[in-house]
Formats: sequence, C-alpha cells, structure tokens
Amino acid sequence: MSDAQAQIKETVESNDVVLYMKGSKEMPQCGFSSRVAGVLNFIGVDYKDVNVLADEGIRQGIKDFSDWPTIPQLYVKGEFVGGCDIITEMTLSGELDTLFEENGIAFDKSAADKIREANA
Amino acid sequence: MSEYVGPVAAEMRARLEAAFAPQVLEIHDDSEKHRGHGGYREGGESHFNVTLVSAAFAGQSRVARHRAVHAALGADLMEKIHALALNLSDKP
Repeated sequence: MSDAQAQIKETVESNDVVLYMKGSKEMPQCGFSSRVAGVLNFIGVDYKDVNVLADEGIRQGIKDFSDWPTIPQLYVKGEFVGGCDIITEMTLSGELDTLFEENGIAFDKSAADKIREANA
Repeated sequence: MSEYVGPVAAEMRARLEAAFAPQVLEIHDDSEKHRGHGGYREGGESHFNVTLVSAAFAGQSRVARHRAVHAALGADLMEKIHALALNLSDKP
C-alpha cells in the first residue's frame, strides 16, 4: 500500500465522517464540493474535511481508494457513501438521515427537513 | 435549431446505449454554465448532465450504478470530461 493509500485508510477509519473535497468546509473551491459541504454544515454534522487541492498524492489517491473518479467523496465510519449526486439524492430522500442515525452520528433532523421542504 | 451534439457527447451516447439499452437517455452539455470556472474549456464538452433509465440498474445500489456508468464510458472518455452529473434509475 502506498503512503497516500495508508494515509487515507487511517483518516477514514479514525474519523466518523470525512469529506474529501476541493477547498475547505469554510471555503469550498468547487460547486460540487460546496454543495455537499453546505448540506453537512447546514444539518450540523461534525465532520473532518480534507482539501485534496493541498496534496496531489491524496488528490489522485482518493480516486484509486474507492475506484471513484471524482471529488467530493463522503465517508461514514470508513465506508464510501458517494459523491455530489448521490449525497444530494440521499439528502432529499431521507436516506442520509437514516445512514447517520444507524451509525450514531449526531445531526439536526429539523434542518434536514428544511432542505427537503425547500426542494419539495 | 436543434441542440448541437459534439463528438464527446456522441461517443458517450454510443457507449451508454451499447452498455445499458436505456429506455431514456438524455445527455446535456452544461459547460456554458461553468464558463470561467474550473475545468471549462472553449468549445464546451467539459461538463455533462446525464439522465439514464435502464432495467440494468434494477437491484443495484447508487454507488454500483454510478460505477457501471463510469466503466461503460471508459477511462479515455472519463479523462476528457471534467464534471459528470448522473441521474440514474431503473424505472422512468
């Protein structure tokens, strides 16, 4: 296993929720990363953000890690959940709530409901 | 005038039709929406939005459906595309 793969494995296994993104959660630098970070910020999930633009090894390594060609990528309890389209769909369907509930991840369900109401 | 179909979109359509025999296949070039942003290039064909309905997706997770589309498009085509939004389902 390369250094990048070992580092990614360590990060996703030692943090309950991790978002690999372009930019930071405070200052996303891509619309797709911004949307996912925006959902997590709005519903108050405690998550670790990893800026792939700061490390070329991680930027390429994360694509290989989950055989997934794009960024952002969300991980919960070490498992790859999806990218921007999937997280958006899961937010609107309520599946993201279920995933967090099943994994004991705290979040504000009323905030998640607000997102769904706005997109109903 | 009908929507112009570029060479990348045409190749995407050919590969997706061959792989999934889709009931619905819509490929939109959204590149102009991203003019001035990362990955935009003159001539477009950098940002796509694809809606694909195929019985082949029945019983597959969201992640599995997306991976199947990435595989069908192939590494050579995926390299040419900066952003690919996918709306995938097994029923219209």
